[in-house]
Amino acid sequence: MVEEKPHQKYTEKEKKEIFNSEFMPHIRSMYNFGFRLTFDRDDAKDLVQDTYLKSYRFIESFQKGTNAKAWLFRILKNSFINDYRKKSKEPSKVDYQEVETYYNSDEVDRQITPDLRVESLKDMIGDEISNALNSLDVDFRTVIILSDLEEFKYEEMAKILDIPIGTVRSRLHRARNLLKEKLSEYAKSMGYNKSNV
Amino acid sequence: MSKPNNPFLKEDGTKCTCMDMLQQMLDSEVTNEQRDYFKQHLDNCMPCYKTYDLEMTIKELLKSKCCGGDVPPDLIIELQAQINQKIST
Ligand SMILES: [Zn+2]
Repeated sequence: MVEEKPHQKYTEKEKKEIFNSEFMPHIRSMYNFGFRLTFDRDDAKDLVQDTYLKSYRFIESFQKGTNAKAWLFRILKNSFINDYRKKSKEPSKVDYQEVETYYNSDEVDRQITPDLRVESLKDMIGDEISNALNSLDVDFRTVIILSDLEEFKYEEMAKILDIPIGTVRSRLHRARNLLKEKLSEYAKSMGYNKSNV
Repeated sequence: MSKPNNPFLKEDGTKCTCMDMLQQMLDSEVTNEQRDYFKQHLDNCMPCYKTYDLEMTIKELLKSKCCGGDVPPDLIIELQAQINQKIST
């Protein structure tokens, strides 16, 4: 997308209008995404700044009135992988083969965390949920952010992440289960177990 | 009231499992018709009811706890300045 040839011609005035009215309103979501990817306020700021400067530079490959948010998220995600991750040399720990096999197995139909109760979740008023989300590997964290926080659809997520819709679905499914496992660990450490619920 | 047609049919005509329906609901990938059907299904399927309740609670928690964080004000100021500079040159 960023590499794409420009499809439209905008005047300087139009560019500024698009930037301000279609790109800037998403800055909160973008910053939150950047922060949840890097866990660092300065890095998040750099990532968002870089993304917005790129979006301006390549604004002519963006068609006015289309999905600016998905377009911006895609640029940020690519910047994170290509620039930030390379710098920090964070290895990717996810084994996709394992992910897909998991989804196709019977294990999916098993209730993984039967001991996690709604009541124990209601007591998680601190940072538990945020910590649980942050504990997930970056690829699983990303799909939860895109789906549950930002309400992107499968199709949009597939475009943002450059993966097939089937992979979006299975990765999201796996991510939800991992999140539940983490939350049930917290619930247990908070003193919830079968005997006192 | 007559039983509604199952709107959760797969491409090959087979019915979706409870897990499939649940996931589509959680991921907000359903039509209004599918949503209504699923809500009715919840009255008759305890495992779905419990899982759906739990998952929706997690979803709401995520939204309320993980969306915050104010954007640093200097980020917006710097960005605007950088863009304005590009325009004037
Ligand atoms: Zn069911």
